Amino acid sequence: MAETIDRETEHAQDRRIQLPAPTAWPIVLAFGCTLAAAGLVTSAGFSILGGVLMFAGCVGWIRQVLPHEQHEAVPVTARAVTIASRRALVERIRLGPEHRAHFPVETYPVTSGIKGGIAGGFAMIVPALTYGLIKQHSIWYPVNLLGGAGVAVWTNSTPAQIATFHWTWLLIAILIHSVTCVLIGLLYGAMLPMLPRHPVVLGGILAPVLWTGILHSFMGVINPILADHIDWGWFLVSQVVYGVTAGIVVSRQERIPTSQSLPFIERLGIEAPGLMDSRPDAGPPRNKEER
Amino acid sequence: MADRTLPIPGSLDATRLRDAALLEWLHSWVVTVDHKKLGILYVLYAVFFLLVAGTEAMCIRIQLVVPNNHFLSPELFNEFFTMHGTTMVFLVGMTIIFGIGNYLVPLMIGARDMAFPRLNAFSFWLSASGGLFLYFSFIGGFGLYGMGSAPDITWWAYAPLTEKPFTPGHNTDYWALSLIVMGFGTLGAAINTIATAFSMRCKGMTLMRMPLFVWLMVVTSGLTLITITPLTAAQIMLVIDRYLGAHFFDAQAGGAPIVWMHFFWIFGHPEVYVLILPAFGIASEVIPVFSRKAIFGYPAMVAASVGIAFVSTTVWAHHMFTVGMTSVGNTFFVLSTMMVGIPTGIKIFNWIATMWGGKIRFATPMLFCTAFLFQFLCAGLTGIMLGVAPWNWQLHNSYFVIAHFHYTLTGSFLFCIFAAFYYWYPKVTGRMLSEKLGKWHFWLFFIGFHLTFDTMHFVGMLGMPRSIYTYEADRGWSTLNFWISMGGLIQAIAVLIFAWNLIRSYLDGKEAGNDPWDAWTLEWSVPSPPPAYNFADDPVVRSRRPLWDLKHPDDPDWKYEQ
Repeated sequence: MAETIDRETEHAQDRRIQLPAPTAWPIVLAFGCTLAAAGLVTSAGFSILGGVLMFAGCVGWIRQVLPHEQHEAVPVTARAVTIASRRALVERIRLGPEHRAHFPVETYPVTSGIKGGIAGGFAMIVPALTYGLIKQHSIWYPVNLLGGAGVAVWTNSTPAQIATFHWTWLLIAILIHSVTCVLIGLLYGAMLPMLPRHPVVLGGILAPVLWTGILHSFMGVINPILADHIDWGWFLVSQVVYGVTAGIVVSRQERIPTSQSLPFIERLGIEAPGLMDSRPDAGPPRNKEER
Repeated sequence: MADRTLPIPGSLDATRLRDAALLEWLHSWVVTVDHKKLGILYVLYAVFFLLVAGTEAMCIRIQLVVPNNHFLSPELFNEFFTMHGTTMVFLVGMTIIFGIGNYLVPLMIGARDMAFPRLNAFSFWLSASGGLFLYFSFIGGFGLYGMGSAPDITWWAYAPLTEKPFTPGHNTDYWALSLIVMGFGTLGAAINTIATAFSMRCKGMTLMRMPLFVWLMVVTSGLTLITITPLTAAQIMLVIDRYLGAHFFDAQAGGAPIVWMHFFWIFGHPEVYVLILPAFGIASEVIPVFSRKAIFGYPAMVAASVGIAFVSTTVWAHHMFTVGMTSVGNTFFVLSTMMVGIPTGIKIFNWIATMWGGKIRFATPMLFCTAFLFQFLCAGLTGIMLGVAPWNWQLHNSYFVIAHFHYTLTGSFLFCIFAAFYYWYPKVTGRMLSEKLGKWHFWLFFIGFHLTFDTMHFVGMLGMPRSIYTYEADRGWSTLNFWISMGGLIQAIAVLIFAWNLIRSYLDGKEAGNDPWDAWTLEWSVPSPPPAYNFADDPVVRSRRPLWDLKHPDDPDWKYEQ
């Protein structure tokens, strides 16, 4: 830093630097252009004056740069500068394994999520129907709630109407329930590598609570009539049953190794001798037995 | 020297000498081609118009503070909200970014000036005179209502309102002609910035060692070239419509008003990025210095900036979902709008990663940048919401859109501009801005901003349309509008504190020295304010943080950078 200070002062003695010379022609040309345009909303006189200024500006500008660009010599003045840090302590992060994201070496396959979703779908039928029986005295109430909401035809239905059996609504409810359970299971399976350690906690508690909270917040906007008919306590119970069942099914599946521990080139599927086993039918023999 | 006669203070000669000195000083500013002086002129011009546009905004808010108010006439209200939008985008936003860029780009890359100094002066004076021309409209004609001929066609100036039969006075002409003039000034500034960054870098400053602010100015300038040209073309077509009887945008004569919308938003949406990208650059300079860490993921930040610029040119018609496009058109623009979230997300994560584990110092510039991070995230999220066509159909032209827009341009852009003022003011003037006044400025502006624009989301969701002159008391908007206006008032007080801080600190501020923030880019290696020639000797850099290397010779960055 002392070096820099010296550099500033050393060159200060009788030294001049050539810089572009100040000129008024750019401002003349700019005002000329503006006046030329302003004439359209004021009077032609402004445009004519603008045209004259533009011409003068162009001529003046050209004379500024041709045949040689005009410069002015600016003397270098001595002004001290300090380039120093008040912070002497520098801490560099020592890169180690703890600074890398930890990817699981083993995880559950995505299909385990689908299996869990299907199992959970069957399991959550129990609390849903129990709710119908206890609260509404009809197992068809929750079925129709799902099926009717799906086709949005029961805008003014009474609880009694919802509690009766409808073939169409039953089929629609089965369709919605099956597809949703499988898709949620698929999503669950896809998320498992991110949170591989506690599938039951994730699927059985965290996800149902979050999902119920989100739906509770938005259902009034998305489908206000459905929101009026949902019993959120029972809804949460059925979600937890779904999640716990799915979690248990997943945790009973066999884990599979992820590709995270493999070299990048191997993950790309490139056959690289030395990094991976050669195919038996290709390349030179690797050991005595193969010879 | 011995024969020199000195005038007696207070005598006629002394007054003449003082006047002559003042004239010489003024003359030096008018004829200057120095990038620093032009940068200061740009910024002063923008600050002046910030106060003007702020006053217009306050008049609009006073008009809307209670139902059935008649503080302004309907005609003047239309003129004020048109001029507020036009002023903020073209006279404040565009000029201030090129002003800050003008001042900093050569200093940051170790150059003595911009690549084309005379073009630089021409660009500024063209922008400045275009702005004066626009405001001359208030007095430059009697107008239709005795209110002058100020534009009253909204800042997006949709056809066919702008056609002669619907706006017969000169209001539209003032808008179109002045913006054409300013547009050419902006194009000149953009060309100059690109040429400077690509051809004037000092020895050792490869593209991947350029400060991120310079990178962002380059990307912004490229985007400016792409976006200003269609706007200028459309405005020339509009002028031809109005003066020569063409019918480009006249549906009754076979023209298409929709074409104007496409032209305008091909400019209009990337324009938001033209403004916000330099703000990203400012945040990328301030956050590392006040976190005492190098920027996280420099190459990703550069790539994300270029990516944002590219994607931003493909999203314009999300402003036009309610026009009635085809499903394919809607789907394309929904998806392209969603894609902006990817590079933007990279940037936000990288800024947070820069702060993560750093020794953060919440000086005023850092306060503004931290608030920017949060507010820009919110602006992005409401942008994603509005980018979904069905949601847009519900909320288009409502105050929800205004809230989203102001979250972007006030909560993000303006916050970063304020950060830039507090960060680089010491370099420009040699004086520190008062931290105490700065904190008052920040907290008042922060509170006022959230009171105004958070509330605006709700009044929009309750169905209040944008641009309305007044409203009935039974619409349920009265209380929310009252608080929106109160928030505006708090912001106005904050801006006045800021203006007072600028003046007071210039006259009586603490001396800054050349490097008050212990920063790392080249501009901090020269005295404050820098000499006309910037660098007595051409600097040589070996890393992205040349001053770090000088300050820590035992532990320079170039040992680690790849």
